Amino acid sequence: MADTTEQPFTVAVSDTDLELLRKKLDLVRLPDELEGAEWNYGVPLADIKRLVAYWKDSFDWRKAEAGINKLPMFTRDIEVDGHGTLNIHYVHQKSEVKNAIPLLFVHGWPGDFLEVKKVLPILTAKSDEHPSFHVVAISLPGFGFSEAPKKPGFAGRQYAEVFNKLMVALGYNEYVYQGGDWGHILGAHAVTHYGHTNIKAWHSNMPFYRAPKFFSNPLLFLGMLTIPFDTVTKTRLAHSMKWQSKGRGYFIEQATQPQTLGYSLSDSPVGLLAWIYEKLVDWSDKYPWTEDEGRLLEWISIYWFSRSGPAAAGRIYYEMTSQNQHDVLEGTKYSSVPLGASYFPGELVRLPKSWTSMLGNVKFEAEHDKGGHFAAYEQPEKLAGDLRKMFGKGGPAHGVVPGKNGYD
Amino acid sequence: MAPAADTETPFTLAVPDSALELLRAKLALTRLPDELDGAGWEYGAPLADVRRLVARWQDAFDWRAHENAINDALPMFTRPLAVDGHGTLDVHYVHKRSEVPNAIPLLFVHGWPGHFLEVRKVLPLLTAASPEHPSFHVVAVSLPGYGFSEAPRKPGFSGKQYAELFNKLMLSLGYEEYVYQGGDWGHMLGAYTAVQCGPKNLKAWHTNIPVSEQPTLWSHPLAYLKSLLPYDQKTLEGLQATGLYRMKGLGYMIQQATKPQTIGYSLADSPAGLLAWVYEKLVAWSDDYPWTDDEVLEWVSIYWFSRSGPAATLRIYYEMTAGNTQDILKGAKGPTVPVGLSYFPQEVFRLPKSWAHTLGKIVFVAEHGKGGHFAAHEQPEALVGDVRKMFGKGGGAYGVVPGKDGYA
Repeated sequence: MADTTEQPFTVAVSDTDLELLRKKLDLVRLPDELEGAEWNYGVPLADIKRLVAYWKDSFDWRKAEAGINKLPMFTRDIEVDGHGTLNIHYVHQKSEVKNAIPLLFVHGWPGDFLEVKKVLPILTAKSDEHPSFHVVAISLPGFGFSEAPKKPGFAGRQYAEVFNKLMVALGYNEYVYQGGDWGHILGAHAVTHYGHTNIKAWHSNMPFYRAPKFFSNPLLFLGMLTIPFDTVTKTRLAHSMKWQSKGRGYFIEQATQPQTLGYSLSDSPVGLLAWIYEKLVDWSDKYPWTEDEGRLLEWISIYWFSRSGPAAAGRIYYEMTSQNQHDVLEGTKYSSVPLGASYFPGELVRLPKSWTSMLGNVKFEAEHDKGGHFAAYEQPEKLAGDLRKMFGKGGPAHGVVPGKNGYD
Repeated sequence: MAPAADTETPFTLAVPDSALELLRAKLALTRLPDELDGAGWEYGAPLADVRRLVARWQDAFDWRAHENAINDALPMFTRPLAVDGHGTLDVHYVHKRSEVPNAIPLLFVHGWPGHFLEVRKVLPLLTAASPEHPSFHVVAVSLPGYGFSEAPRKPGFSGKQYAELFNKLMLSLGYEEYVYQGGDWGHMLGAYTAVQCGPKNLKAWHTNIPVSEQPTLWSHPLAYLKSLLPYDQKTLEGLQATGLYRMKGLGYMIQQATKPQTIGYSLADSPAGLLAWVYEKLVAWSDDYPWTDDEVLEWVSIYWFSRSGPAATLRIYYEMTAGNTQDILKGAKGPTVPVGLSYFPQEVFRLPKSWAHTLGKIVFVAEHGKGGHFAAHEQPEALVGDVRKMFGKGGGAYGVVPGKDGYA
């Protein structure tokens, strides 16, 4: 049942925009580097030199564009209370299976809708052995080819509203949700507002919540006191501390002065490249980007050619923390909607698994020995496998969406 | 003792035409982001300001005129200085002697996003001869990596190395005993130089941002006890402002202290990006100073055209905090030489005055009703007035340099 405002969408970057990028790359001015710097001060110069040369001389955007356009993509207007209408971009792939489970897949930063690419054929595949999904992969407002909010204050509640209105407009009144990074955080907001009524279950590959407080979670809090003696947990926390002490600059700058940073990211392709590439490497589990540099540059190019430009994407950090005054989960409430959690070892924040129960009603957990922050991209079979187990026959969230259990 | 003229070279600022051309070509390709409705300064440097400044920089700003004026106003030099473990760095500095032979040698040290030009307004005042106040021989150094000083090539160039370099510079100019004035990094490095080179060479120092460590019972018992008393309203306001600043204004610092190279690519490549990054602080940290567009553009141009490029200027944050893992003043504990403090109301760090006892033997304190972080630029008369009082007849540091009391 199509909504009349839905339009099929193809990516079509103008020749002018391509020309501008080329001209800028021709005029690149690179800094020097300290001897033996490697990754200690940020992205190494040698990597940047190589990637800039590739981007300039070998990378074929039109070919990448044609590949992206093979995905079934659309845009439609979604009205958001107090924010007018935003034109939202999304991938929508229906399964052959009529009763496939409607699933909303939500990316984060520095991710994008293309993170759904590898899991899409797996999730929508038909089989008696596993459930199938109708998949909607949205571009967050201000990312990819979605319009950006125009006014301040677009935060958790507003994202949840966009998600729900999109799914309902597509005829999916009841659906499930999968996300990592902002996708995870916004999932917590989404189930706060639309849990049970619309969102019947959700899954996260970055399942973090706040630390337990004595009065709200005494047992977990007491458990926290034994941490020094539990090496597994200690390792997980040490890993998280690394992000806390060395990898958080982007977060604080984007949460406090996103516009200032935005001038650089809008104007300098190499600046944007470095800013994002640092995280693609730091946060993935040794993903072999050097063997995939075309795809890497396609990733950066999506940000470069995004509808609202690279500066808009950083504003989510500001809005979701009210300029670094509170954490990103402010405004979420515990929901008893079934929750699935997948733990990947390279994830940047790794907290004791016992804390996940504060995030939601944990019904499914899986731990993996490989994979990082960009799970859908790095370990598509594992992630899709977890979803199949969670929602499949015998799984803890089987049949959560009435009449759409994933099998015909 | 005459300076070793054979290793000192007079310096004339002369940016090559090719560099000017590249800047112009890049400015012509500037791609600006959008901005949220009514953003003002809440999200960073406002779009209207950056747009206007970029346009002027491209079309109307006359760099050569500014360059000529700088060369006319400031006697500049370079000389190679060896730093233990770091080879030789070619260091750029302003050096102006007073008519008064027994003028007090003074080293003036800038910070970030400052540079040697911050001495410009105070230079004629400090070197002026009068029976009413002391006169100074002034040396204003460009920190390694800033202005036209070479940057360190290896990791680990930190407080100890800066102190060594400053001392060697002053000694090479024939100033065995001298005094020191600094703000921002100039302040931090003042503490290091005081500890390392005082009282033998550095006899007394003055700071316009008296940032210090909180006294502990063991380090400074009297100051500690005093700091336990309830703070007065003004101090509370200062602490609150400092707290707010820490929350909203430290993104640049965390980024620069952890991943200076990553943000360095943007600042080296994008004039607009560099402009916004610096301009945000010029405005946020000054006390309603009426920056003219040309003043801002000249200031940012120094960064753009600096010998080692803008990325090198950021590394001091990394080195001085060991990659954001330790306190800046960790290696500068317990300076004992006389210190003078000037408090300006819009300084970003406003700590309780009782804490300042950890900076040394306080011999001068002044509080002002106007002025911010860039005191020498915003309030040159006030700053020089303080320095004159501190070192003049009847002042707390009068005659600290034997035989050079500043009077004819």
